[in-house]
Amino acid sequence: MGGVEDDEPPSKRVKASSRELRGLSNGECLKEPSSCSFSACASMARPLALQGDDEVIGSKGVKKVEFVRIIAEALYSLGYSKTGAYLEEESGIPFHSSVVTVFIQQILDGSWDESLASLHKIGIVDETIIKLACFIILQQKFFELLDGEKVMDALKTLRTEIAPLSINNIRVRELSSLILSPSHRVTDGISGQEMVKSKPRSELLEDLQKLFPPTVMIPEKRLLQLVEQALDLQHDTCLFHNSLVGETSLLTDHRCGRDKIPSETVQILPDHHNEVWYLQYSKNGKYLASSSSDHSAIIWEVNLEGRVSLKHRLIGHQKPVSCVSWSPDDDQILTCGVEEVIRRWDISSGECLQVYEKGLIGSISCSWSPDGKWIFSGMTDKSIMMWDLDGKEMDCLKGQKTLRISDLQTTSDGKLITICKENMIVILDRESGAERCIKEDQTIVSFTLSGDNKFLLVSIVNEELHLWSIQGNIRLVSKYRGHRRSRFIVRACFGGFQQAFIASGSEDSQIYIWHRGSGELIETLGGHSGAVNCVSWNPANPHMLASASDDRTIRIWGLNHVETKSNSCIHHCNGAN
Amino acid sequence: MDVDPRQYENITINDNDSHNIVLSYLIHGCFKDTVESLVDSTGLKVPASQLEDMEKRKRISHFALEGNALDAIALTEQVSPDLLENNKDLLFDLLSLHFVELICSRKCTEALEFAQAKLTPFGKVQKYVEKLEDFMALLAYEEPEKSPMFHLLSFEYRQHVADSLNRAILAHANLPSYSALERLIRQATVVRQCLSEELGKDVQSAFSLKEFLKS
Repeated sequence: MGGVEDDEPPSKRVKASSRELRGLSNGECLKEPSSCSFSACASMARPLALQGDDEVIGSKGVKKVEFVRIIAEALYSLGYSKTGAYLEEESGIPFHSSVVTVFIQQILDGSWDESLASLHKIGIVDETIIKLACFIILQQKFFELLDGEKVMDALKTLRTEIAPLSINNIRVRELSSLILSPSHRVTDGISGQEMVKSKPRSELLEDLQKLFPPTVMIPEKRLLQLVEQALDLQHDTCLFHNSLVGETSLLTDHRCGRDKIPSETVQILPDHHNEVWYLQYSKNGKYLASSSSDHSAIIWEVNLEGRVSLKHRLIGHQKPVSCVSWSPDDDQILTCGVEEVIRRWDISSGECLQVYEKGLIGSISCSWSPDGKWIFSGMTDKSIMMWDLDGKEMDCLKGQKTLRISDLQTTSDGKLITICKENMIVILDRESGAERCIKEDQTIVSFTLSGDNKFLLVSIVNEELHLWSIQGNIRLVSKYRGHRRSRFIVRACFGGFQQAFIASGSEDSQIYIWHRGSGELIETLGGHSGAVNCVSWNPANPHMLASASDDRTIRIWGLNHVETKSNSCIHHCNGAN
Repeated sequence: MDVDPRQYENITINDNDSHNIVLSYLIHGCFKDTVESLVDSTGLKVPASQLEDMEKRKRISHFALEGNALDAIALTEQVSPDLLENNKDLLFDLLSLHFVELICSRKCTEALEFAQAKLTPFGKVQKYVEKLEDFMALLAYEEPEKSPMFHLLSFEYRQHVADSLNRAILAHANLPSYSALERLIRQATVVRQCLSEELGKDVQSAFSLKEFLKS
């Protein structure tokens, strides 16, 4: 705003004098109103204008001039141009400097030469920006001439105005080709995909606005952008934000209550005969699979009301079943007997379709390939086996690839993740042989892969959970503390709306829930009478949690109010959304 | 073979052969006056038709080198009908020479019209598209010599086109498109390189014709 007005003394004087009059009415000006001549106003004008520019509102240094300008922009965006104009007048703060207003009109009118002249008067310091702006304005002129079949004029513009700018020779080349066959512009043969016809002038204006520094032309919808940023911030700091339900209001800060986190036992499933070691929901949230030291696994069905019932008991293992693994399309499951065999089961029939073994070497973990065609398993001899679905051995990664007790996960792009040394997890690309590692200071107990494959939650012997980002640069993101784990494997999981929470079992029989972003412990759920070995949050229902315990039961947790049976539950239980 | 490649100095060469090699080079390059001179000095016989053809090829090459592509094309059509029909690459190169001529004479409108009439049809075939764009880019500059495509205006480029045309005409008449001299030099180079590799000398001493001629 400031210096630009230098070219426009008359209007400035007018505005300044209105400010000055206000100043006068506040007793700031010493001269008498009647003797305030034109020249006196002029000499007063500059200082007052500067004072206006620096004025701040609120307590965070928000400049009044900027604030009013973005409000004006919001009004114009909403279509209230009369109000916008009135705001400019009443506040005395122009939305755009007058040069810019003239410039904008010239662009919309297609007065290209005049607009180029105005461009140089706007006061942009960066030469590159001015050149780029000239280029796109002249390009528009070129296209409009071609559209109007004025080929020779377009050629003249290209030769005399565009090419001499000496920027973007590749584009100049493309434009030349367009001259050759304007009627063929739509095909790919001559030019690239973009810009084969002149775009609307309003779009040109948008391009220019993005190019210019924001003080020259206010970015479109800037106020809305700021409001949305504030909303994001509120959501991020809301520790209990766990549903889509509920509107976003600008009138009050967003704050969820604890009532959206599952914290009440809604079902106890006593069907296992011994300690329940592992459980996991299918990706579609319609099934739950659990495994136990009673040598069996159970498939549970989750009905539309969120009620869980036993569907199949999977009998066949001769040893405790340490873990289960859902197939990529949730129609089959792998179970792993401790240092025993892997079994593949069909979900709908409950039948065991295949057994995978390798002589006397037992399996300790199991996982699917992302296309569901191969089975991976960590073995007691620390290698990793790969079978096809029929049990034929396809590959064996020898050497110390895994430990005697370790998890195995596969990412959606086919990489294998496993604990290869006491304090190291390896992410192995089987095809290229490339390995990336997560190195911890202390012994790693177990880990969980996030649903989006971007994060790894690692459980450490010192009772901490470490969240690692594994996409791009491997780095530690946060730590979570509070739960108890000293003797056994206790597992954690991601869950809730947008995976905003971390839940973990604990040897003190409780479930711990943290807000992922802030690391704050927000809930501890009591109820089990034995160590909670594993938890799983329903991926399709942010209000449903399952836990597996040494007390031989599985507990299903839901929201803590009676309205659980209402419409909202039916809406999103069982992944029906 | 009994002859040791290193004892090449023992091989006898017929004078006639030497003269013919030189002659083939001169005829290939259309050096009419030099050919006549050589014929007089050596008593070699050259059929009149061959001399006539050489004369025509000389004129065609000159047209091309001057940038007078239209006359070059016309004469080529006379000498080797259907040659350009069947050799679109060459036709494109020649037409583009004419386009460049018009650009250099600053006749932009004519250049554009010519391009629209004659060059656009090539644009339908993918392999010509980039070349076409190269030439069209020249239109954008008031001083094409200063454009990124300035090499298209150069004498070297015209020579390259003239050369290709010359070879194509010879090939069309079922004559070798490379003179005996050229072929011999190429063969010698390859042989020498193989020999030096076999003898275990380091590759740096690859055969250099320049060095050989100086020694």
